[in-house]
Amino acid sequence: MAKFPSEEWMNEFVNILKSSETYREAAKDWEGDITFIVTPESSGERSYAMWFDLYHGECRDAKFFDDVSKVPKSAFSYSGPLKNWISLIEGKIDPIRGLMTGKFKLGGPMMKIMRYTKAAKELVNTAAKVKTEF
Amino acid sequence: MWYFRSPQIIFGEDSLDFLESLDMEKVVIVTDKVLAKLGLPSLVKEHISDAIFHTIDEIPEEPSFSDIDSHSRLPESFNPDTIIAIGGGSVIDSAKILYFKIMRPDLDYYSLTPLEPLNIKGKMRFIAIPTTVGTGSECSWAAVVSDREHHRKLELASPEIIPDYSILDPRMVGDLPDRLLKSTVTDALTHAIEGATSSWRNPFSEALAMEAVSLITHNVKLALTDRKNLEARSMLQISASMGGLSFSNSQIGLAHALGHAFGSLFRKPHGFSVGLFLEPVIDFNSDSVANIYEKLNLSFSGEFRKETLKESIASLLKFLDAPAVIYDFGITREEFISRREELIEKSLESTGIIGNPRDVGRSDIEKIIEKIGR
Repeated sequence: MAKFPSEEWMNEFVNILKSSETYREAAKDWEGDITFIVTPESSGERSYAMWFDLYHGECRDAKFFDDVSKVPKSAFSYSGPLKNWISLIEGKIDPIRGLMTGKFKLGGPMMKIMRYTKAAKELVNTAAKVKTEF
Repeated sequence: MWYFRSPQIIFGEDSLDFLESLDMEKVVIVTDKVLAKLGLPSLVKEHISDAIFHTIDEIPEEPSFSDIDSHSRLPESFNPDTIIAIGGGSVIDSAKILYFKIMRPDLDYYSLTPLEPLNIKGKMRFIAIPTTVGTGSECSWAAVVSDREHHRKLELASPEIIPDYSILDPRMVGDLPDRLLKSTVTDALTHAIEGATSSWRNPFSEALAMEAVSLITHNVKLALTDRKNLEARSMLQISASMGGLSFSNSQIGLAHALGHAFGSLFRKPHGFSVGLFLEPVIDFNSDSVANIYEKLNLSFSGEFRKETLKESIASLLKFLDAPAVIYDFGITREEFISRREELIEKSLESTGIIGNPRDVGRSDIEKIIEKIGR
């Protein structure tokens, strides 16, 4: 069990992603990094980020940040407060519906993401496969 | 948390009269050449007095961005208070995109997503008047546009482009040719089946789908054999809107993902393109949504209902002369094989993939298209 959010959780996520044939197939042409951001729910709370370098269905690198200002600018970001990340990891929120209901925000060029909806969904769905403690 | 979204729907005999209750000064009419020639926009205009019109009647079938773009710049000082779409899916979808571009010329087409607010709702009235019995676009917040350069269809969506009013006046479909009626009914049927079974299904989408199937199967034969029977055509109009509401408030599925890619690659009509994949997709999904398929089957009229949903659909599609294999579309095996890879790739890019009740991979699509590739 890995605590969310943490470097340990991120590494477990990357391991599962690397073994996902479904993700590899859906993202075989994908080029671009993405950052998962856990935003603070109230002032004074810390935010966290996990940055993933994704290329042709592979995760080439990943970094954990407990200071969001240090995260390199990435092509895409998927961000939301901790309570919504918990719901997503527990499978209670569909990652795309999460965006459509305002529980998460997506940053990056829509034109590109629209062609990779399955890859994007698989990527976020992988979060639900990590054995997580909160 | 989820939403149910719908325009205000005015339906039945004389429903165009509703237009007389609205104050309109400057109106953009979006339609196509054929409908203009048939006089349907004129029929609508008769119900709007003292307004100045700007008519766009050059919307082609399966329009691309460039087809739409040339119309988004209105004459100087023409600030419309209303936009009215009179047509089938291509016209209504184009009107949705024009509505967006007129209100937000600063944004590009790809900003038309459900993820970001456009802040356009309520600033200009949007009315859709369908002239076919299948698109459902008059009730949906989706718009499909052809990307001819990349041979695919883009599925754009925003809750802010749903029409404010949808007017289902049976006179607008009174002269709908049989072939178009059959193709668009096939579309409505596919919307209902996929709206009821999508992974985002909900009680609203299921209920509307069941009733849509019932109305289609109870009225389609009458509408085709007794062409003067406006009541039967009115019921088909309503079923199409119900199908539109069903999928728009849940999602499309694999038959649409494949049908959009197929229709775009081979330039075939939307309704029959999605219908082509309905039976193999039902086969593929049957274990995941068996109980819903059973309920949908029970919604069929006795005339078309068989033991299983797949068999009932086969009997209805046969009645509608819907193509069941590529040969029926006039596509040779060689042509099909030469574009098979593109078909698979484009299908995998569709949002219908994520809405399908069963997870879909490349090998699944290969097996499905093999079934229709004869």
